Amino acid sequence: MKKYITVRRFFVAAALLTGSLSFSSCENDNEGPSGEYAQDAVLVSNEGNFNSSNASVSYLNRSNGSVTNEIFKKANPEMVLGDVLQSMAVHGDRAFMVMNNSRKVVVANANTFKAEGEISGLEMPRYFVALNDSKGYVTEWVTFSGNGRVAVVDLKTLTVTKIIEVGINPERLLLAGGKLYVANREDNKLSVINTATDVLETTIPVTHGPNGLALDNNNNLWVTSSGLKVYDPVTWEISTETSAPGTLSKINTSSNTVVDTANFSSRSASPGNLTTSKDKTRLYFTYNGKTYQQDPQVRQLSRTPFIGRSFNALGVDPATNYLYAARSTGYTSDGWVIRFNPSGAAVDSFRVGIAPNGFVFR
Amino acid sequence: MAPAALAQQDTALYHLQGVEIFGKPAEVFAAGSRVSTLDSSYLQTYTSRSLAEALQARTPIYFKTYGASGISSASFRGTSAGHTAVLWNGLNITLPSLGQSDFATLPLSSVGEVAMQHGAAGATYGSGAIGGAILLNSPTYGRQGFRGDLQQEVGSFGRYFSNAAASYSNEKLAVGISGNWQLAPNRFPYRDYATFGAPERKQEHAEVQQHGFAQDLVWHLSPKSKLSLHSWYTSTDREVQPALGAAYTNAQQLDKNLRLMAGYDYSSRWGQTSIKTAWFSDYLKYTDDNNYSVTDIQTYQVQAEQTYTYGKRWSLRGGVNLQHFTGDVEGYGGGVTEDRAAAFALFRFDPTEALELSLNMRQAFIKNYNPAPTPTVGANWKLASGQNHHLYLKGNVSGSYRVPTLNERFWQPGGNSNLKPEQGWNYESGLRHVYTLGSLLVESEATAYYMLVDNWVQWVPTPEGFWTPHNLQKVRSQGLELSSQASRQLGDLKLTATAGYTYTSTEQVKAYEGTEELDRQLAYVPLHKATFFTDAAFRTWSLSGNLSYNGLRYTNGNNTNFLPSFTLVGFALNKQFLLGQQKLIASARVDNATNTDYKTMQNLPMPGRQYALSLRFIIP
Repeated sequence: MKKYITVRRFFVAAALLTGSLSFSSCENDNEGPSGEYAQDAVLVSNEGNFNSSNASVSYLNRSNGSVTNEIFKKANPEMVLGDVLQSMAVHGDRAFMVMNNSRKVVVANANTFKAEGEISGLEMPRYFVALNDSKGYVTEWVTFSGNGRVAVVDLKTLTVTKIIEVGINPERLLLAGGKLYVANREDNKLSVINTATDVLETTIPVTHGPNGLALDNNNNLWVTSSGLKVYDPVTWEISTETSAPGTLSKINTSSNTVVDTANFSSRSASPGNLTTSKDKTRLYFTYNGKTYQQDPQVRQLSRTPFIGRSFNALGVDPATNYLYAARSTGYTSDGWVIRFNPSGAAVDSFRVGIAPNGFVFR
Repeated sequence: MAPAALAQQDTALYHLQGVEIFGKPAEVFAAGSRVSTLDSSYLQTYTSRSLAEALQARTPIYFKTYGASGISSASFRGTSAGHTAVLWNGLNITLPSLGQSDFATLPLSSVGEVAMQHGAAGATYGSGAIGGAILLNSPTYGRQGFRGDLQQEVGSFGRYFSNAAASYSNEKLAVGISGNWQLAPNRFPYRDYATFGAPERKQEHAEVQQHGFAQDLVWHLSPKSKLSLHSWYTSTDREVQPALGAAYTNAQQLDKNLRLMAGYDYSSRWGQTSIKTAWFSDYLKYTDDNNYSVTDIQTYQVQAEQTYTYGKRWSLRGGVNLQHFTGDVEGYGGGVTEDRAAAFALFRFDPTEALELSLNMRQAFIKNYNPAPTPTVGANWKLASGQNHHLYLKGNVSGSYRVPTLNERFWQPGGNSNLKPEQGWNYESGLRHVYTLGSLLVESEATAYYMLVDNWVQWVPTPEGFWTPHNLQKVRSQGLELSSQASRQLGDLKLTATAGYTYTSTEQVKAYEGTEELDRQLAYVPLHKATFFTDAAFRTWSLSGNLSYNGLRYTNGNNTNFLPSFTLVGFALNKQFLLGQQKLIASARVDNATNTDYKTMQNLPMPGRQYALSLRFIIP
């Protein structure tokens, strides 16, 4: 057993060194995991409607294109997954579903989706990342307007062992070079935590509203920021005059400094859903109703849309390099997943659950 | 009393009840449509319950109830919550902010009569009567002298209910007052399937505290005129029950509804003149950890109508209705006022004894909107008549409309000032059969309806986290209502049994954008609902049983998820004791007798089997 863990740790470390962010655990397992949802799995998190506890997980078999919805419910017939599935991550053979309005992370077997436990006592949890088999991190807003925190979780006991205060509305997490980068969604900084000591090491000033993190093939950290938006108090529309435009920034992960920032043109629109291609030589993001592909080597922001629509979430399948896009049809009917080939042509689409908001490729 | 005066009074009575010679007041101008009533003995037995529970148990109307403590809204003939008008003594009491009534805040103890008008009735009842209308009337005090009524009830999960009423009436005056108080902690057990291991828990966030009073005064000023004053107050303070798995954020809702009305009726050779004026104050406060919202709206209403009845041949009613709303609503960013007016003409004509006709018309006037005129044409025709049988054919075509509510237009954020008013057409036809044999009476009715509603308003949640209303281009609701009631007197035993079945198909058939949700059953509208209930009375005993079946309800627009069907069963047993002049009624009741685990909204557990014991003391 110990040897197994050591081997696994070595594998995780190797994966991190090569910049791999997919939590693919079993690529070099000969037998392969068993379970209904183990093979060729693309998992889709469906947020569900706030206060209805109708969040769900969909399974897409990437080789035969079959879709199974409500896989958590199918594996745990009487159980209710919870309210507002904000995000989902898989590490090893475990899936972690961050249930925002249930104040917990539900843990299930990633191959069968049988519930295995939960990490409770979290305040407005948003995103989860596992460092290894025994330690993970969860961002928590705690409040709408004050500083949030990162909870350090013992993945053996599923308990919070430490909390680290960060900026306002911490959300996306990214592990690189022994550091945990935390994007504070309503703040103007990233928080950087040393994963060996779990101490806040530094903060990196960025444009207000960092909402996406991605690492390229040269170990540069890319950050999309929404810019400071000003809302009309009556209509809640974003002001086109007083709001600040969003940006795409490049951070050197050795010095933890911003080395370049490109401004978007619109004051009201925000870039979002940042992700990378399989080899990390392309960035993808949504902006102003469209989806763009960006070469990290090019300083100018891409002006030609890759796809003429925007989406609720993007993900690139590392196995096929297909772009998966989630389309929400509101919170009272089921949304869709549309697949695009590497040249941006739509391949097919599937109906999933209410408000799909993320992908996990295994 | 001098014979002359007596004669005069008889005439007055004849005049005052002029239109009633055509039947129940609600049915006079509704020839060709279906009007049903809640049995008065049922209302007597279930005084401690709400209108929502009564109508769910005994009518085809389906209720969406948000947990044990939550709001309860009606779906009448497949329509949404704002499509059922609720009238109290003839005036619309629907909340002007929400445009709907929360039937959980309408206690039966304050109501004398409940009638249901099925289908569109925009001409008679104005804005909102698209799926139907619920007509509530204050109690009437027929008996002369003093009467007192005290009731105390205790029930499962910590429930207490108290009611006290007193009334006095003589030839000239009838006064009545009643007060009620209820505490329902709703601490019922449930299994928490949203927590790993599904532990058994007690509901802790569904407490309801409700109190209120009602007062009535009818004063016959002269044999030809009467003045009436009615008031009705209810205060409902409740915890908003969270869904399984959803965090409880101290959500509380307080509703305070005060309704005052004064009426004056006068009979002359020109018929009956009726003037009603009312002031309603509707206060709603919602609070949770992140929200504080107060809606405080005053409604001023005047309705004047003149009814001329010619013998038993025809009756014509013309009138106007004026409404003025003034609201101080934080959600609107301040004060809002609005005026609405409507003129109506209702005509009932019976050319022969076998044929009854209705022709009604209403035109509403509202600034910035141009509601189309709403007519109704209806007929009842006695097709066949035998020694024991009567068979009637009936049908009607009626228009309806609904002006967007204040919330739909002004709520910030989400209010949509571009919302179009709803406009509906309802076509229905049916057969009614009455069979009598000795003391056996069997009344059966079958109605098929087809309804189209343009610009049906639906609230949808936005990604920004608030809800916004939008128009569905065209919604079609069609269905079938079947009911049969049999009653029989066997010596001291009186038996009544009623069975009802309703099929309701409601789909969006035309969409302004997208076609994904077309031709799918709208969420939370059951295709099937059935009821069966019996009432038996034997000397001082009475027993009532209620069964209702509610078919599956889809929870999403594309019909892939649903809540399973459920059947609820309840019984009540009453025994009356005579203590000299006084009466004591002891009751034992069981609701949800089969302990069915059911939900009317996703993941909101409802209470299982509940018992209640009640003592009621009536003087004299």
